[in-house]
Amino acid sequence: MNRNQRIKLYLFLSILIISTLFLVLFPRLTLPLGFAYIIYLMSKPMTIRLTTGSKKQRMSYFFIILIGTFFIFFPIIVTVYNIDTNFESFISDLNRTQLIIHDKVMSLQTKIFRKYGFQLNIDPVRIIMSKIEAHGLSLIDQFPNYLSLLFEWMLLVPVFLYFFFMESPKLSRKFLETIPNSIFEKSYVLFSQFNTKFGEYIIAKFIEATLLGAIVTIGLLIIGFPYPFILGFVAGVTNILPYVGPIIGLIPGLFIALLSKDPNASFIGILIVFTIANLVDMILVFPLLVSKIVNLHPLLVIVSVIIASQLSGIIGMIVIIPFIAFFKLLFKEIYKDLSVNL
Amino acid sequence: MSYERDIAERMAKGEIMEDRLEISLLKYLWDSSPLSFKKNDGYHEFFKQITVLNSFSDNEVRIFTKFLHRREFQSNEVIFKEGDSGYGFYFIFKGAVDLYINRSSENDLGEFILKLEKQQYFGEMGLLEEFNRRTATAIAAENTVLLGIFKPDLEMMLEQYPVMGAKFLRETALIMANRMGQLTKEIIVLRKKIIELEKKL
Repeated sequence: MNRNQRIKLYLFLSILIISTLFLVLFPRLTLPLGFAYIIYLMSKPMTIRLTTGSKKQRMSYFFIILIGTFFIFFPIIVTVYNIDTNFESFISDLNRTQLIIHDKVMSLQTKIFRKYGFQLNIDPVRIIMSKIEAHGLSLIDQFPNYLSLLFEWMLLVPVFLYFFFMESPKLSRKFLETIPNSIFEKSYVLFSQFNTKFGEYIIAKFIEATLLGAIVTIGLLIIGFPYPFILGFVAGVTNILPYVGPIIGLIPGLFIALLSKDPNASFIGILIVFTIANLVDMILVFPLLVSKIVNLHPLLVIVSVIIASQLSGIIGMIVIIPFIAFFKLLFKEIYKDLSVNL
Repeated sequence: MSYERDIAERMAKGEIMEDRLEISLLKYLWDSSPLSFKKNDGYHEFFKQITVLNSFSDNEVRIFTKFLHRREFQSNEVIFKEGDSGYGFYFIFKGAVDLYINRSSENDLGEFILKLEKQQYFGEMGLLEEFNRRTATAIAAENTVLLGIFKPDLEMMLEQYPVMGAKFLRETALIMANRMGQLTKEIIVLRKKIIELEKKL
């Protein structure tokens, strides 16, 4: 490698390091950028079909972004607009729940006293309520910040998305030009494979979550369980998290089954519905959709998800799988090259 | 007759005119024109001279060049080494490339076999095979500019412009078929020579 090639390599590595630092240091910009990038990758196959050969490409992108933005932000705006009503119903539900839990604890304490002759002096309701109160207060304090962040995202995400659609081919070309010749072919192919895998994984998880949410909703509607749509939505969203997601998704339903006085809110019923939904997911949906894209060992997935959750929360848990799949691909390539050159 | 004069005459005759001028169509036709000076990088003229792409229309050549990567190599710079994973197909836009085989160690170039000049191409197997290993080492014989197309570009081309992608694949398959034909002829000649030598012995 001569001097010029070395300079090119160092320059490329510097660009990579500076870009990574920039992304890490400015999460307020990185998060909407990442969100826009995920939507871009998800919608890319569809938009390519819609816009290829179109004479009005700019207009097509504009309308796609407009419709996408509406569907993403409209439910959020409606929720925020009705926040006072939601908050009131949340407080009244909280008070009612507090009373129900209190009654249940008291009856449990009486039963234990009658059977074993000792008095339990714990008050879980007070402990839980004080925590909820503290979190609720901090939530109210932070509400204006969250609102401004939401409006910021509403502005930034569509702008970034438009930028990705219009400028990303040109910019990625410019970026590729900076890659030194010695590593160009491999870097370009890996970069493309990562993009494809990441996009496919996000689409597959989105379809999987929608199917699971739909099965749970239909199941709960059949057995007459309260809040079928909300619980179906929660089950779908939490299912994005591998392995731990289905369990987290079941928790709100179990709470409702335990605390609600509704005779249809059966504990066994919700367990059966979630078991069927997850079995359909495990036997049919996951092998057909997701496992073909990321063929990883379950243990590796669990360990990666736990580590990612510690490092960067829910977002980390969602995006870690395609990253691990990419690194597996990278190591395979390096290993292949080493075995040839040895 | 100019476009404006034509419009003026038609208006004078009282003909009903279209609502508006199709600016986007005009822009498209202007961009498609090989005489357009917009971004004249010389790629169009270059590819029109390459026999492999002679079934491509002017507009197809214009679109095809959008999928290419310009890579500049200094004299004696390695383009790829024998045994490396191959993913791309290169056209020599400027300069020349030397090919070597039978490399014995990391620093050894091996035996010189061929010099490729401007408008020639190499590495097509890398584009088609799933796991390709380069069969020769390619070195820039002088300061060289290559236009490369790689597997992701081909996939994108097939997705966005399937007809053009299929045409390009057909042309690449033809290159390989020609090379296979040449190889077969060489093998026949070599076999004859071996038989003659065996008879002599």
